[in-house]
Amino acid sequence: MATTEQAMSTRPASGRRPLHLSPGRACSLLALALVVLGSLALNREGLSLMQGLTALWASPDFSAAASLGQADSALLSAQLVAHVSWWPRLVCALLAGGALGMAGVLMQQVLRNPLAAPTTLGVASGASLAMMLATLFAPALMAGTGLGGDGFQLGREWVALAGGLAAMGLVFALAWARGMSPTVVVLAGLVVNLYIGALGMVLLLFNQEALHGTLVWGAGSLAQNSWDGVITLLSRLLPGMLLALVLMRPLAVLDLDEANARSLGVSLRKLRLMSLGLAVFLSACVVSVLGIIGFIGLAAPACVRLMGARRLGQRLLWAPLFGALLLAVTDQVVASLDGLLPNLIPTGAMTAALGAPLLLWLIPRLKMAQGAGPASHHGMSLTHRHPRPDRLLGWLLAGVCVALMLALLVGNGADGWTLGSDMLQQLMAGQTSVLDFRLPRVLAAAGAGVLLALAGTLLQRLTSNPMASPEILGISGGTAIALMLTLLLVPSPGQLTLLGAGICGALACLALLVMLNHRSGFIPERVLLCGVAITALYDAVRGIILADGDPRGQQILAWLSGSTYYVGLSAAVGVLALAIIAVLLVRPLARWLDILPLGMASASALGIGVTRARLVLLGAVAVLTALATLIVGPLSFVGLLAPHLARLLGLSRAREHMLGAVLCGALLMVLADWLGRQLLSPYEIPAGLMASLIGGSYFLWSLRRS
Amino acid sequence: MKWLLALISLSLLAVGAASAATTDETVRPPAGFVDRPIVALDWTLAETLTGIGVRAMGVGQVATYASWVDQPALPQGTRDLGLRTQPNLEQLAALAPADILISPMLSSLAPRLSAIAPVTSIAIYTPDADTWQTLVKATRQLGKLTQREPQAEQLIRLSTARLAGYNAALRQQAARKGQSPLPLLMVQFMDDRHVRIFGDNSLFQAVIERMGIANAWQGDTNAWGFATVSLEKLVTLKGRMVVVEPLPPGGHQALAHNGLWQAMPGVRENSQASAPLFLPPVWSFGALPSANRFAALLASHLIDDEATLEGETTDGNH
Repeated sequence: MATTEQAMSTRPASGRRPLHLSPGRACSLLALALVVLGSLALNREGLSLMQGLTALWASPDFSAAASLGQADSALLSAQLVAHVSWWPRLVCALLAGGALGMAGVLMQQVLRNPLAAPTTLGVASGASLAMMLATLFAPALMAGTGLGGDGFQLGREWVALAGGLAAMGLVFALAWARGMSPTVVVLAGLVVNLYIGALGMVLLLFNQEALHGTLVWGAGSLAQNSWDGVITLLSRLLPGMLLALVLMRPLAVLDLDEANARSLGVSLRKLRLMSLGLAVFLSACVVSVLGIIGFIGLAAPACVRLMGARRLGQRLLWAPLFGALLLAVTDQVVASLDGLLPNLIPTGAMTAALGAPLLLWLIPRLKMAQGAGPASHHGMSLTHRHPRPDRLLGWLLAGVCVALMLALLVGNGADGWTLGSDMLQQLMAGQTSVLDFRLPRVLAAAGAGVLLALAGTLLQRLTSNPMASPEILGISGGTAIALMLTLLLVPSPGQLTLLGAGICGALACLALLVMLNHRSGFIPERVLLCGVAITALYDAVRGIILADGDPRGQQILAWLSGSTYYVGLSAAVGVLALAIIAVLLVRPLARWLDILPLGMASASALGIGVTRARLVLLGAVAVLTALATLIVGPLSFVGLLAPHLARLLGLSRAREHMLGAVLCGALLMVLADWLGRQLLSPYEIPAGLMASLIGGSYFLWSLRRS
Repeated sequence: MKWLLALISLSLLAVGAASAATTDETVRPPAGFVDRPIVALDWTLAETLTGIGVRAMGVGQVATYASWVDQPALPQGTRDLGLRTQPNLEQLAALAPADILISPMLSSLAPRLSAIAPVTSIAIYTPDADTWQTLVKATRQLGKLTQREPQAEQLIRLSTARLAGYNAALRQQAARKGQSPLPLLMVQFMDDRHVRIFGDNSLFQAVIERMGIANAWQGDTNAWGFATVSLEKLVTLKGRMVVVEPLPPGGHQALAHNGLWQAMPGVRENSQASAPLFLPPVWSFGALPSANRFAALLASHLIDDEATLEGETTDGNH
């Protein structure tokens, strides 16, 4: 009991005054706010409270409208809007919030991770990808609502549900071999999420106009146009919620540790599978009808736990209620803002944007088990050690050289494949040759690969957490937010402006991370959580910008997907030089990296100032990430993948691991950049996306095998 | 491993199918067109060039142009240069154009492109400028650049005359019937709950302004002249809906189930004068050719008198 309680507890840190806010009191406060906001909203529509309430069940009758005066017909219109739009929207918000809250409780209980959320398992991204594919290749599937007049129709919620379940199936298939252990489930979910997200981004990049509808949907707007959505949601959520109540008793056993639970005769694997499946089903229903609504599934359970609902029964009661009210209130606020701005503000993205600061506020109040975290040493300890690491490094270096030559010489142009044999002559004669275009990109790709791989290695060793990656630290996200805002607010920004803005964003993020963490001594898990919050904010900002349909969205998309397209020769050489210098500078730190994962006590005993070491290493990670993000965007997952590849190849000591990862990173990025430029020529798939497609596949495969 | 490889190749195939098939290289330009050694990365510029009878060497996203701009169709033999935001530099250099035309939106590309050929940036949609005047100016500029001034002047003259003609016809009709046309709500569906509504600064607004019709949407719009709103915003607005296709998934059938759509005054009242109009796709960020097309489509619905329309419906593109 003690271990789980420690790992999961979200109690206020010891020594702090507990919050004097019981879940019941919080819910009543929210309900009061909802009633006030709701009646204000009805008032704005020109309805009295009574008229508004009548509109809940009565559809106004227009048959006599012709004979009515101006005022009466305006009242009828307002009642109609209330009936087919306002009330369904409110009910949908309540239902969706409740379902997400419940799904969150189930997931956090099963995964024993206070930060598990319905989106963690790839449900949202899977559903989103399925909708995109259906829109492009089988628009007929997207037609019905599932309640079509002429019998049963496959509607878009079914497409989304299928996609969400498929993504979850992939996660489960990967985690099954290891008994669905919580860490592996979260890790597999993360990788599937990134992988599917990259695929979706490719589709989006080439079909922005056609996929606009799914962008609005992806940002999670609650707007309704009839009661169909409510009926669909209700018919799927009610059975799901009932099942959750049935599962409550066996699930409570999960509070015990594994051995105890097993001795009580509970089949853990089946129980986990069923509860996770149920949670995903609940969230897939919401996702399919309303779009991606982030954060509620994470916040509702965390908040009620913080307010003192400890036992599973309490949490299953209060979290859905709290989630429902929270989403409904947020939606009311968003709807009242809607009239003031010309932009569409999707509620789903908005909850995520408002949620990020709340998450940042929560993090210092989460009690983290020192050094344990969600990581343990899966993925870290499972590999053998290569007998001759130096020879392996040599082979990797040779591989990088071959890849560089390939990328420079071979290309698929307008006249088919060509070997750049006349390149040398052109170069001698001082003419422009394809080399002028290829060299900067190849060098920049290699440089970015090195930077990200190095940052990833530092982070993964520092936190002994296989999920750690520079992207997750939030530096990429922060840089990206700054760049997106610059692209939107500054008319025709130049490269230098963008560079400056990007650096400012990265520094702001770094400052935030340091500010929030210096008191707690940079506990790695907590730093990662800050990163998660910043990344959530980035997702929200991106969602809002893309959903509005600004034509500049295409440019932002192009940049977000991580292309080496915009890099000039001097910048590329600079990046590569900086990358090499960084490798040389970090090498002496290898001792820290070997010792820090052993834990705070051992490290101090060996004479290392733990806080200082962590600060230095995190600072290095931030700078490396910011540099790489400016070149290839925030989406390349090289920082996550390269250290893993090096480990899987058998490089386990810090120094070898670092060099191996750096070479793997360079190799991966150069190959990805080259492939991306050739496959669909003249169209180019950005290097960041290619890298995550290639690396992600390998990663999923190796996870399944081991 | 196999199923993962299959997944990757499937996704790449999907992307490939969705992107372009390159057009055949034809040596001679089609009738009415002349070749110019320029490339136009932006569709609005490409459309204007086509309108004045110029075949550019290359244009960005040729295949997608066909489904979103549609008319005027690019002449055969225009090379596809890849994404508008990331034209393929190696192929661009291989074409060795004398001039690269971009819109200010792509200005961040200018330093890279200018290593290949001189870059001309032509402003089309700029905030706080009269859309029609900007388009006329851009057409003149392109005419001068391609030595097609007469054709450019003709396109401008024809477009202006056409709109003036519709304006007169609508006024006559209003005098005859004793009622002027309803203000319009011009929308494009994003999904079944959200529309883009066009107002100030948009091409559609510029067109109906010259036809003497009011816009029922007086709300704010962005620099491209539209706002993305949910349908409920439109229920209380008095005006005639003009829906520029594509329709949301499910088409007319889905609209029949859409409670809000059914509540729109025009749909509800079921009268000839206010029934919503459905127009085939028109590039909403287009130039004069798109303006012409939009005007003609609108006029064919709004003007009953066939005689007035006669002589106007011939295509004035070149």
